[in-house]
Amino acid sequence: MSTGTEAPSATPAPLSAEVVARSGNTMIVSMGPQHPSTHGVLQVVIEVSGEIIERAEMEIGYLHTGIEKSAENLFWTQAQTVVERMDYLSPLGNALCYVLGAEKLLGITERIPERAQAIRVLFAELTRIASHCVWLGTGGIDLGAISTFFYAFDIREDILDLQEVAGGARMHPNYFRIGGLNGDLPAGFLAKLDALIAKFPQRMRELRALLQNNPILRDRMIGVGVVSAEDAVRWNVTGPSLRASGIAYDVRRAFPYSGYEKYEFNVATRTEGDAYARFLVRLEEMDEAMRIIAQVRKELERPGPVLIDDPKLVAPPKETIALSMEALIHHFKIVSEGIRVPPGDVYQAIESPRGELGYYLVSNGDNRPWRVRTRPPSLYNLQALELIASGSLIADLVVMIGSLDPVFGEVDR
Amino acid sequence: MPSSQAPSIAGNALDPTAVRPPLDDAEIVRVEPGELRAKLTALRAEGCSMLLDIGGVDYLEREPRFDVVYHLLALPLKAASVAEIGRPRRVRVLVGVPGKDATLTSVVDLWPSANWAEREIYDLFGIVFSGHPNLKRIQLPDDWEGHPLRKDYPLRGPAREATPRPPFALKSNVPAGTPPSGKVAAALQRQIARARGQEKDGGAA
Repeated sequence: MSTGTEAPSATPAPLSAEVVARSGNTMIVSMGPQHPSTHGVLQVVIEVSGEIIERAEMEIGYLHTGIEKSAENLFWTQAQTVVERMDYLSPLGNALCYVLGAEKLLGITERIPERAQAIRVLFAELTRIASHCVWLGTGGIDLGAISTFFYAFDIREDILDLQEVAGGARMHPNYFRIGGLNGDLPAGFLAKLDALIAKFPQRMRELRALLQNNPILRDRMIGVGVVSAEDAVRWNVTGPSLRASGIAYDVRRAFPYSGYEKYEFNVATRTEGDAYARFLVRLEEMDEAMRIIAQVRKELERPGPVLIDDPKLVAPPKETIALSMEALIHHFKIVSEGIRVPPGDVYQAIESPRGELGYYLVSNGDNRPWRVRTRPPSLYNLQALELIASGSLIADLVVMIGSLDPVFGEVDR
Repeated sequence: MPSSQAPSIAGNALDPTAVRPPLDDAEIVRVEPGELRAKLTALRAEGCSMLLDIGGVDYLEREPRFDVVYHLLALPLKAASVAEIGRPRRVRVLVGVPGKDATLTSVVDLWPSANWAEREIYDLFGIVFSGHPNLKRIQLPDDWEGHPLRKDYPLRGPAREATPRPPFALKSNVPAGTPPSGKVAAALQRQIARARGQEKDGGAA
């Protein structure tokens, strides 16, 4: 066992996954990339002395699919479909950020219809709940709480249904468009949404009853993986993990987008900075997201356009192309050539379920983006695991990974 | 060889970042590579405590060829409410890096979060960060050749076919006996053939 007296050298030699070697009292063990609790394909190479982790180093990139490169080689309108695949638990969050950035470059931010903005907020918050449901369900399984998974996925299933009704697909609806939305909400959507709003508080009560004061869960989470406020900022941790350390930075409040300034909600914050604080912050965020959804729901009573009226940017409705020559030409041009975006660069950030999601978009005036740089919140949140893992128990590593909520589609892109 | 898909920016703006007034909330600063560290240290001292992201852009025909973009955010280092944070200052620092001998100074000692970001730029753009404690590829396998986010990285077509494949993708490196081409597959084939033969016999009888 480590006595804790020997200080690690200033620049430790990199751990190698291939080397599984004993040196002195420590042993190098590779955890993952197929370990079920690594939430995807994360490999953590840990140097352990007994049950204590001396040092942890992560290997990522197992899911690298070159999405940023693909996006550069697609039209502005097509690239949206691949960016949705980064954070596959909140696809519409990614789409929203990308679309907002492209709209800033086009200079049409002010012209987006109010109804379209409200529906964007609606889906951004729905996916936040759905994403937290996956975190809650899988995080519960990590700790042995199997039944939570079914309660959480029940809510998520309803939300995926709503995505399917609106956008046509459960996981990647591709519902947002540069300039608005693909179409208005179909008949029957609001009734389904009302049913979810009505059932949600009871479901949350059940989830809280199952978990929040569960002694096993509290024992496993309280005091585990503590990130101080200063460390969180220096290690670039954002989102619920930052707010659990006491810093109430929320992009929705600091740099409002898509009309978030209109809605009332609290920014959930704790000060402990441990896994339990992150758990409580996410639970409260689910309640607050539903509060925003209820406010948006009232706005949806008013009908209105959901797409800007600009034939150079959005394809005319399918019905009109059989009747009007211009509509046919515009439709053909947009489908075959995409849209041209004026040169410039922009950084657009939104509050994704995992933190500040940013897109740094560069256009050279062509119909393809010159560069689509993503600031993936998961990547930086996960990097902080190196900080909190050293000195902890191996069993706690699982809790820490779960509490940082990484999504590997986004980490590896 | 330039990728057949990459549109040329010659004739368009060579530096899209300079052609328009800023579109977002960030202050934009452009520095020379030599001044980068001093500028970032100064900004850090002024309260830009978080290094949100480091991104790279390849302008191919421009000189300097690359831009490396540092996004900074001014957050307090202790617990703070929404009102105390307000609208934090955002700064975007752009630094041009020449295509030949692309090197920058690492800032891992200022912000530990720069570690993976710099490794990713090294991996995908081939820009070297001097002073980085562990500069190796992060997304791609260690034996990968080339830097895919460079605009001249062949994406498809003859140039892509001529590019050397990494060893793990070569058939000659697959050990003999590995399914589905080896002994197991042959054994399965025999088993299937036997089963079919019996079926035929059974049907005839």
